This record gives sequence, C-alpha cells and structure tokens, in this order.
Amino acid sequence: MGNDSLIVGLEIGTSKICVVVGETMDDGTVSIIGVGQAPSRGVRKGEIVDFDTAQKCVREALVDAEEKGDVTIENVFLAITGSHISSFNNRGGVNIKEEQEEIGEADCALVQASAKQVSLPSPNIFIHSILQHYYIDGQEGILNPLGFIGERLEADFHIIHGVRNRIQNTIRCVKELDIIVEDVVFNPVATAQVVLNQNQKNLGALVLDIGGGTTDYIVYVDGVVKKSGVLAVGGDHINNDISMGLRIPLARAEKLKIDEGSAILGNNLPGETVFLKDDHGFVGKEIERETLNMIIHMRMRELFEMLKRMLEEEDYLELLGAGIFLTGGTSLLRGINHLATEVFEAIPVHLTHAQTIAGVTAVSSNPQFSTAIGLIKYAQALQMGRPVGLLSRLKKRIFGRSR
Amino acid sequence: MIAINRNSDLKQQANDAVKIKIVGIGGAGSNALDRIALDGLENIMLVSLNTDVQSLDSSVAGKKIQLGRSTTRGLGCGGDPELGYTACKEAEAEIRKAFEDTGMVFLCVGLGGGTGSGSAPLVASLAKEQGALVIALATMPFNFEGKRRSQQALEALALLQEEADVVICFDNDKMGDSVPPKAGIHQAFASADQFISQSVKTISNLFTRPGLIRIGFDDLAMALRNNNARCLFGYGESDGDNRVHDALTRALKNPLMDRGRMLADAQNVLVNIAGGPAMTLNEVQILMDELGKHINDCAQILFGTAVDARMGNKVSVAIITSIGDGQTAQVRQATPRQRHTPTPAPAPEPVQTPVPEPVEEPAMEAIQQESEPLQEVEPVAVPIDEPAAQSESEPVYAQEPETFSDETLEPESDPAGRDESTEYEAEPVSAATGESQQEALLDLAAEKPAEDVAPTPVTVTRSRKFAFPVPAKPVLQSPPVLTRKAAPEPRQETLQFEPVTRGRFEKSEPTIIDGQDLDVPTFLRRNVRVK
Repeated sequence: MGNDSLIVGLEIGTSKICVVVGETMDDGTVSIIGVGQAPSRGVRKGEIVDFDTAQKCVREALVDAEEKGDVTIENVFLAITGSHISSFNNRGGVNIKEEQEEIGEADCALVQASAKQVSLPSPNIFIHSILQHYYIDGQEGILNPLGFIGERLEADFHIIHGVRNRIQNTIRCVKELDIIVEDVVFNPVATAQVVLNQNQKNLGALVLDIGGGTTDYIVYVDGVVKKSGVLAVGGDHINNDISMGLRIPLARAEKLKIDEGSAILGNNLPGETVFLKDDHGFVGKEIERETLNMIIHMRMRELFEMLKRMLEEEDYLELLGAGIFLTGGTSLLRGINHLATEVFEAIPVHLTHAQTIAGVTAVSSNPQFSTAIGLIKYAQALQMGRPVGLLSRLKKRIFGRSR
Repeated sequence: MIAINRNSDLKQQANDAVKIKIVGIGGAGSNALDRIALDGLENIMLVSLNTDVQSLDSSVAGKKIQLGRSTTRGLGCGGDPELGYTACKEAEAEIRKAFEDTGMVFLCVGLGGGTGSGSAPLVASLAKEQGALVIALATMPFNFEGKRRSQQALEALALLQEEADVVICFDNDKMGDSVPPKAGIHQAFASADQFISQSVKTISNLFTRPGLIRIGFDDLAMALRNNNARCLFGYGESDGDNRVHDALTRALKNPLMDRGRMLADAQNVLVNIAGGPAMTLNEVQILMDELGKHINDCAQILFGTAVDARMGNKVSVAIITSIGDGQTAQVRQATPRQRHTPTPAPAPEPVQTPVPEPVEEPAMEAIQQESEPLQEVEPVAVPIDEPAAQSESEPVYAQEPETFSDETLEPESDPAGRDESTEYEAEPVSAATGESQQEALLDLAAEKPAEDVAPTPVTVTRSRKFAFPVPAKPVLQSPPVLTRKAAPEPRQETLQFEPVTRGRFEKSEPTIIDGQDLDVPTFLRRNVRVK
C-alpha cells in the first residue's frame, strides 16, 4: 500500500515482540490501527542471541500486525536496548564569525558536531544526541538560538551511544525480512514520548520501563533528558529466581509470578500456600506464598535500590518533581508500586502506560506496549518536523546512526 | 480461650470505673473542646474554664465555669498569667467541685496567653487533689507570636509538669507543617485542635477499651517520662486490604512523628493496636515487625492490644512516646536507670523465686510453645542467680517466670505474682506521679501490668520485639548497647550453593554491577534461606 501516513513501531523485547501500526491524522494526532505480537525467543536481556529464532519471531509479529491492521508493513522504527548502551552529557561550542549577523541553523549543527567530538570506545557509535540547553556567550537557558546575536554558541547535549555491531545485528534481523528500518531509537527515549507529558518533563521525572530482560530508565529534569541507561535486570530475572528458588521449570515460574506473585511482603498468613498445578491440572507442588513473594521482593528491591543509589550519586533524586513512572511488562507485577514507594520514600510513584494516543485503547492502556507506541509518537514528531517538546526538536537531526 | 471471658468482664469494669472529664482552659482550650465535642466521645463530660465570658458562652461544653468573676469581670486576662492565676484562684471552690468523683481529667490548654498559662497548673493541682489522674495536653504558641509569649508558655509548662501526671506538649509550629501551605489559617488551627481531639480520644480509648493486653496509665507515664521533651504521638487507622500497613503508615505520618524518624531516639515507646474481632495475630506481628524497623533496638516497647467490635473492619494503631532534646535526653536516660536500680533493691524478697522456679518449670514446659522463649532466657538467668546475689539483673529474671506463671497457672500464684509485678511496674511511675496516685493507678490499670509483662496467649510467638521486659533489662546491667539481640541471633546462615548458578542466564553475558553478578538470584547472594 505504501501509505505515507502509516508509522510502524517495532520492539524486539526479551519476552515478546511488539509491532504497533499507527496512522497519522491530518490534525497531527496518531491513531493505532493494528497491533501484532509474538512471544520472543532467542532474545536475552534485550539483545538477540539466537538470530534465526529471533527472526522467525519478528516475522510472526509483523505478519500478525499486518493481519490485524490490514496493512502492508514496509518500513519500521526499531527500538533497541541492551546493557551495552550508555549515555553521558557533553557540551559543544563554536565561535560565530564576526561578519555573521545572527546565529543560523548551520551554527546549531556545528555545535552538535562539536559536542560529539569526544572519544567513544572504539566499537561504539552514537545513537542519539539530544539537545539540552543552548548558551550564547555564557548566557544560560536559551531554548532556541536562531536569530540571536553572539560571539560564541555553546550547547549541552545528552549523548547516547552503544556498540555498533550489536545494534547492527538487531537491524539486520529486521532488514533481512525485506523491511526498511527507518530509524533506531533507544527504548526509554521512545517510551518517554508517550508516558510523560511536557509538564511532567519540566517538573522532573524518571521513567522506569521494566521489561522482560532489561530495565530501561530515562531522567527528565527541566524538560530535558539528563540521564538514561539500561540495567540488564528485568522480569526474566524474577522468573529465574523463582525457578531456582522453588525448583520449578521456568515457564511455570513465570506463570506463578503472574498469577500469584507480589512484590510486597507481610500480606500473607504464615503457612498460606498456593498449589502449583502440573500439566494435567493435578495438584503438583505446594508453595508458600511468603516464600514466593520474598524471592520477588528481594529482586525488585535490589533493582530499585540500585537505581536509587545511582540517581543519588548524581543528585537527580530530589529533582524528580513529577515522580517516578513505572511502565513495561513487569510493572504489572502486584505491589510493585508500593515497593517502589517504599524504596524511593518521598517521591511519588505512578504506574503508567501510553497516554495521549487514540485508537485501540486496550493496547495503549497496556504498559507492555509503551515503547512500541512511543516509537510511533517519536516517528510522528520526526515526520511532522513540528517541535513537540525540546527533545523532539532535535529529533529531526539525529546523527551518527548507521544502517 | 479464657482471655475472652475475662475481657467481657473487664469491659464492664472499665466502663463503671473510670469517669473521664475533659477540661478546656482559656480560648485555645475551649476551641479544642469544641472540636472534641464535634468528633463525639461517649460518656465523657466536657468542662470549659475561661475568663472571657463571650468565649465561654459560645462554648459547647456541658459545664462552664467562669474564672475571675470579680478580677477580670468577664473579660480576658490580656495575656497576663498572674491575672489568670488570681482569676482561677477565685473560682477554686467551683473547680474543685467539678472534679469530684472523677477518675481522669484531660486538660486542654493553649499555653502562652494569660488564662491558660496562669490557671492550668492550678487547675491541674485541684484535679489531683480530688484524686483524678491529670493528663495535660498543652499547645505551645507559634514562634511568630513572640519571645515573651513562648517564655510565658515555657514557664507555665514547667509548672504544669510538676502538677499534672502526664503532659503531652504540642508545638504549634510543628502543627503548621501538617497542613498544606495554601490552606487557610482556620484550617491550620483546626488541624491543631483535631490533633488534640484525636489524642484525647486515643488515650481515653487506651484506658476504657477492653484490652487483651491492656495499656495502663503507668505505661503512658513511662512512655512520656522524658519531662520537658518532645512528645511524639501518632495515630492511624485503616480498613483496606493492606490495613495494618496503611494504619501504621498513617500513624507515622502524623506531624509529630516525622515519618517515624524521631522514633529512633525514643527509649520507651507505647504502642496500642485496636481492631475488630477479625484482627489476626499475624497482622499484629506484621505491624510490630514493621514498627520495629523504626525503633531503636534498646527501646522498651509498651505494647497493648484491644479488640473492639465497634471497630468493625478497621485496625487502628496509636504510638505514643517522647524524646528529650539532645543532651537533655542523655541526662534523662541516666536518671531512669538510677530510678530503676532502687527497684531491684527491694528485690531480696523476690529472691525466693528460684524456689518456685523449678516447680513451675515442668508445668510451663507442658504449656504449649510458650516454653520456647523461656528456655532461652532461663539458662542465662540461672547462672547469674546463683553466684551473684548482688547482680542487679537478678530480680528481673526472677520475676519473669513468675509473671509467666501468673498468666498461665492462674489462681494459686496469681496474687503473689501480681503484687510483685505491679510493684515493679509502678515504681518508675511513682517517681513521676507521686505516691497518692498509686491507688488510683491500681484501680485503673487493674490487671494490666501483669499482662503487660507476660504475654497473654495472644503473644504466644513472641517475636523479639514483643519481649518487653527482656530487652529493657539488659540495658540495666550493661550501659552500652548490648541488647538481647546480640545473644540469640536466629538468622540462619546457609551454606552457599557450591558453584553459583545463574540458571537461564548461564550462557548469556553476565550483568555485573558493583561487583555483584545480578544474574544470580538475589536471595542466593544475600544468603536468605528459601524453602
């Protein structure tokens, strides 16, 4: 069909692959018209470890989306994650030529280029460089320098980079299915597009996308990205812990977690048990609830405490005015928000999913789809060339990706 | 169980026994009264004392007494405590009459002004003359009201502390923190009154509610023993799914609690848990465990619990304690210990206890699990007993089995055991209250001290936090922190599983952060035993 208004977001997750097909309306809104998903195999901690199997799953998901949305998918926006991705803030600067009247777009591009004059580890490439603030002759907090007069233009950038080959592998996995990858987007960058509104970004917010294999986070302060990254711990780890602790198969462990597990302790009577049914529906093993919850609790608490420590080190914790936004499949875990509240103390914790999106609401209200929907929002902002936020203003000038 | 029968008896007793009056003095006091009336307390009489007739007229109190009919002639005191005192002196006879036949008096007063500061200590002493327990709830003025006023308030507070049995002091400045900054001023004041009302209600409930483990007046006095200190008071209730947790969180959220942070410094913490018949022991345990995280290990927990059908599905938690300010706390800490030491001094009498001990032991072993913690204690107690008659700790241990027996063996050992334990418990109180109170105390606290010391059947499991007498005592003998915790640390170390397994992640790239391999289950890394 080759419809220009079609945008497709593809997330190859550790536990499942999500494809969301969106359509941009004339008024600039996005409507979701189809969703495809397939359980994911051959992916660990957000990265492909078994190429062929993973590719099959991706195909499955794409076909599913095509059927559901009655469309043909030709190009996609691809979300990537993985522990190899990391980020830092850097400042770039250029001197404005004297004869030049005012600062122009070319200067902005130069600033960004200069901000990237840092030595990345050799196998790494830039994924995003996101503008934070401009400075003109040392004057702070300039949002748009175009038209200003000055001698020196500087800008702070948040730079996200990852290992080239690993990113390439993921891209290749999709490309071999004859699908064009229009852009790769770091997971939380996409997620934040639909989970946070501009106001929350301004107040300061932490988005925690706790998925199957990884926990992706992004910190917004004063409306700009200050920190982002990946912790390769997710729902899979809980399953593994349960499986090892209770000595039951992984799949059983996952089901037990979803059906019965909770991240808070102390809500069960001592000796209260759940029966684990075997394949034939017969009662197999008896498991004490508190034990199950203890395993989950310890893992999640450790995760939150790790994040807290990390944010504390850089003093972002007190800047999170709007609070913490939990999303991703593992945010469906019972009591996870209570646990987060307990760990992060004074900071409000919200369970969220994609907001501000029209269409199949059952999809947008599911936190598992936050990232895939975020991709569409991201892509839309790119296509419209219309600044949706400070972040998206820069979107149209994303450098450093490689195909 | 037996306890249930006894409770129903107690309930009637309590209702008959304690007559409670709530007295509001001065403008702030009568405001608080209005609030209390609004919140509704059963069987409690409200008395309003004021010099200002207008304010007195508008009060909702059942009984109103005008102070200083001739001195101030129906006007206020104009912030002069001297005048307040004279005015009160004038109405002395009337006030005395009002307190006739009263078991307990709550004195609500705003200090710093004339009427309140001047007359509160006098009123307190009059009430005491009539044999009532006096619990004063004093509010300190806002900082912005000036130095003079806070000076007056402090002086009055000192006087009041001499006269009243217990003084709970609310700081208006702290109160301000509890209302949102945009709230109107009336709301701010209302919240202070509400707070007082809540405390009155909670405290009176402590004494009037039938308790499985009753909190007595001596416990309250104990918890608030740091004179001149900050009173921490928290109350919360909830009926949700997670009600215990919620109730505790709410209690800790109270402005005087500072989210439980202040609790860490408290030496004696009074905790009362009340709930409907559906409240489970497990819930109580969970709550105490959780609370324990906020409390110093050496702190003595004065624990009470009550079942009240009227609570329905709700569970409520009241936490009352006090801490000294900085160095004062240090000084006070030392004093109570000295006060304790004389307590063991009369101990030579209870020394006979080693004799009953072996007699009771077999009996107790027969009695359910309770023997467990006992065995834990006894081996320690016996060696100490034998060599050292001088050992201070001795009567303590000697008493413990006694009180247990009191609980479990019922009639025979009952009178003896009770007498002793009462004596012991009452001692620190008498230091704070004066001898005359003792009788009233015994009335009020009736069965309580015994129950308090010895866990009733309810506390069978005795989580470490429950063991009131024990953690407090080691402090007596060894000044530094050494608590019971040091001895039997029940945490069981497990052998690390030989090769650390990573299960599903065996072949994937390890996630190592801060030197920890996160792919290994957390519980394995922390050596937590999982069945």
